[in-house]
Amino acid sequence: MTSPTMAIQTVALTRQVTTLDGALTILNGVDLEVKSGESLAIIGPSGAGKSTLLALLAGLDRASSGEIWLAGTALHELDEEGRAALRRQSVGFIFQSFMLVDSLTALENVMLPLELAGSKGAEASGRALLARVGLEDRLDHFPNQLSGGEQQRVAIARAFASQPQILFADEPTGNLDHANSELVEDLLFELNREIGTTLVLVTHDLALAKRCQRQVSMRAGRLEAL
Amino acid sequence: MSQWGLAWRLFRRELRGGQLRLITAALALAVLSVTSLGLVTERLKQGLNEEATRFLAADRVLQSPQEVDPLWLERAEELGLSVAKVLSFQSMAFIGDQLQLVSVRAVTDNYPLKGQIEPLGVLPGRLPQSGTLWFDSRLHHLAKTGQTVELGDAQLRLSGSFARLPDGGFNLFASAPLVLMRMQDVEQTGVVQPGSRLTWRYQFAGAAEALAQFESDLLSELTSSQRWLDVRNQGSPLSRAIGRAEQFMLMATLLGIALACAAVGVAARRYCQRHFDVVAMFKTLGATHRQVRMIFVFHLGLTTLMGIAIGTLLGILLALGMGSLLADALPMAQTLGWRPLILGAATGVVAGIGFTLYPLLRLLRVAPLRVLRRDLEPTGLAGWLNGLFALAALALLAWLYSGSVVMTLVLLAGALALALLLGGVGFVVLSLGRQLGVRTGSALQLALAGLRRRARENLLQLVGFTVALMLLLTVLALRQDLLEDWQQQLPEGTPDHFLVNVAPDLRTPISDFLAERQVEATDLYPVIRGRLSAINGERVQGAVSKEEDDEEASGPDGIRRELSLTYRAELPPNNPVVAGRWFGPNAVEEVSVESEVAERLGVGLGSRLQFVIGGRTLEATVTSLRQVNWETMQPNFFFIFPEATLSPFYPTYIASFKHPEGDPELVAELVRLFPTVSVIDVGAMIAQLREVVDQVSLALAWVLLVVAIASSLLLMAQTEAGMASRRQELGIMRTLGAAGRLLRRAVGWEFFLLGLLSGLLAVCVAELLLVIIKTQLFDLRVQWHGFWWWTVPPVSGLLIGLLGLWSCRRLLAHRCAELLQRQA
Repeated sequence: MTSPTMAIQTVALTRQVTTLDGALTILNGVDLEVKSGESLAIIGPSGAGKSTLLALLAGLDRASSGEIWLAGTALHELDEEGRAALRRQSVGFIFQSFMLVDSLTALENVMLPLELAGSKGAEASGRALLARVGLEDRLDHFPNQLSGGEQQRVAIARAFASQPQILFADEPTGNLDHANSELVEDLLFELNREIGTTLVLVTHDLALAKRCQRQVSMRAGRLEAL
Repeated sequence: MSQWGLAWRLFRRELRGGQLRLITAALALAVLSVTSLGLVTERLKQGLNEEATRFLAADRVLQSPQEVDPLWLERAEELGLSVAKVLSFQSMAFIGDQLQLVSVRAVTDNYPLKGQIEPLGVLPGRLPQSGTLWFDSRLHHLAKTGQTVELGDAQLRLSGSFARLPDGGFNLFASAPLVLMRMQDVEQTGVVQPGSRLTWRYQFAGAAEALAQFESDLLSELTSSQRWLDVRNQGSPLSRAIGRAEQFMLMATLLGIALACAAVGVAARRYCQRHFDVVAMFKTLGATHRQVRMIFVFHLGLTTLMGIAIGTLLGILLALGMGSLLADALPMAQTLGWRPLILGAATGVVAGIGFTLYPLLRLLRVAPLRVLRRDLEPTGLAGWLNGLFALAALALLAWLYSGSVVMTLVLLAGALALALLLGGVGFVVLSLGRQLGVRTGSALQLALAGLRRRARENLLQLVGFTVALMLLLTVLALRQDLLEDWQQQLPEGTPDHFLVNVAPDLRTPISDFLAERQVEATDLYPVIRGRLSAINGERVQGAVSKEEDDEEASGPDGIRRELSLTYRAELPPNNPVVAGRWFGPNAVEEVSVESEVAERLGVGLGSRLQFVIGGRTLEATVTSLRQVNWETMQPNFFFIFPEATLSPFYPTYIASFKHPEGDPELVAELVRLFPTVSVIDVGAMIAQLREVVDQVSLALAWVLLVVAIASSLLLMAQTEAGMASRRQELGIMRTLGAAGRLLRRAVGWEFFLLGLLSGLLAVCVAELLLVIIKTQLFDLRVQWHGFWWWTVPPVSGLLIGLLGLWSCRRLLAHRCAELLQRQA
């Protein structure tokens, strides 16, 4: 059972996949605790299992064994629908490839999680968030009319739209140049502080990792504190 | 509310972005095909039937040897049908001092309900007055207008002559000339006595529903000696043309629908694939399964509705346009029927569900994890389900549209065989070897490497291209064969006059007369009247009456009545022997039988047939079966004997000839020189048949156009889908510095090779399908299309290569980054 101050807790988390050469262990007994409001960076080489861990923590994938507690809920006991409900209520995402819906405008992309949750005032919240990330004059632009940096700022606004307890970010600056990276990082951490979100961030970028309160390293499916 | 708003917003954007256009277009095309062809066929059918009913002088005829219950006629009148009565009997008539057997038609006031009596000269009114008779051209050598004729006890005055009665039929062997009189004069003649051999024909005309209602009430009441006739079983020369045209339109429309459905399937697959990321993102953001399902079902549902609306509207417009085009030459029904509209909409719904269900189910199964692993495909849905849904939808559509289990099965068997054949052949060809590397040395090498690398995707494309080409070829060939079949029946120089009742001593003078005037005539065929009395020693009464109970199998009148028999040394032209062999020079007691009548009578090679001719009995063994095309305007016979067998009997002769242009006096001179010979003009009938064939050909061209459009749509959908799978690779190659020209040419080659292979497979499958369709549905001669084998593959290669090039050019116009970043 997780403590009330704990946003995320995993116990002996394992993920195995079957390949042509037999079973492959990607995560090997990962124990992790992240406190509410804490920011954590997971770093490590490619193929170490960072993204797999992120997917399990966010309920996008199922563990082979072990427990995951997210916002006080036993994620490992939930079915697909239950995990979706938990994500809707408590989780936000930022991806390297932005993952905006091409056929929706910037504003509509930000409104999307609120609309899916059936929240009222989605448009007002969306407008406010886009203004907060400096895109108030880009409300009606479609993703293909925005630069990479702008797209990621829209993605940040979308991630914070439902005021999530926990935010997962997968290489949020991986596709951006230096100037845009800085802008996006600043926004991410500012909003994180303002809303009091727990941030779990996967990155190769050590500078970005250092801006988090805590860093862990992933190697061959195991976590090591730095 | 907000979710519906989201779904609606997404739908509008998708529509504007063009992603749903292809599905809408394909669905609209399927609906349009069914609606417009249904409407045109229905109107054409009504028009042609209207035209053809003139041969019947009514919409339906009830034929009976006795008067029928007057309540039946009251029932018909209650239903709003017009009823006319015709009593036919044969009688001897005194014309001047000559005694002549005549065939009398006594008619009621409203005869004929359809068509007109074709006059010779001017007729005094619509029908003969009471106390008068009209006579046909064959009595001209005996009778004159104004003369008095004794018919039984009555004295009737000849007041006019006619060339043809609308229901005069086409019985060349009717030995007695026709006379027309009023029903009320029959009693006065005293000819009709108990036991007289009479034929009552009750003619009915009116609305289709009323006729159908009357028919369903009546059919169960009919005795085995009564017959219910419509245009089809009346044996009009039009009926076969109409029947085949209908069958063709049905088949072609079905193939068109199948094509459009395939295009819907391809487009829906592409649409759903493009939304894998969106669904993954929605699920990641916490969307429930229900929400995602609602959004995409809403999209595909609205798309289906749009397709139906557009298809129906365009279908009606096209049908109206087509109708006005056809109406110039044919009487078209003025109203548009509801059935094609409902069928069209049903087609849209079935195609919309059947061909989008599988892609949609896959889309709904996209895992949220795809946001992190973009190569993750939906799992847990067996691929054969796709085929099952598509086949089920196709079967339902085929059955809905054709109402024919045979046609549905043919289509399904074709689809299954096609899938297996294409899958097998395509897979073998494409996986001959896997290629390592991309070999950028030349565009062709690059193309070959690409083809092998993408064997699975290419197989799908190959199937799509092949289906499009194959169905187009099938429809093209069927149309051509039907047209040729009709043309063959009525080639230039088709005889348009018959010479009947030629006495043996007039043979040479008539032949000389025709030869002098350079008239193309058939041989003179001897005609001897006789009856079939036994088959294999069993009296024929039983053998034939069994068939009479079956309406479908009821044969031409000649079988049950007196037959026209002939003898001949050589096989007549257009009478191919389908079983056995034609008589040798010393044959006796042999007979050659027309194959269909042989089948109806249950007679085969070696059967012994007994005939009664002039009171004498004659036996012969069946030694050959012939196929006879009854629509060729030449003397045709069910039974042909060797000369030695029939030589003891006295024959008359019959021939047909083509009236030469520029000799208007020919027939008059013939009649003057040979007054005992009857000359029958069937020119009007041939002209009408030609006109109908021309109109139907136009309709067939339209069907072909629809199929061609459906086929192009499928080609385009498939090319688009194919290009999407090449998009990222092109982006990478472009980024790595490959010249645009090289990539374009490589894609061009790749599509050319795919097209070439599809063309070859399409020809193979089309030839097979045509064998099935022609033998099972159309009764057409099977022939191979040699020129297809060397023209279709390169042409399809070129066409598909160009489509690929065009599509690639558009793709390469994008920046590399765009190609790499975004799924199209």
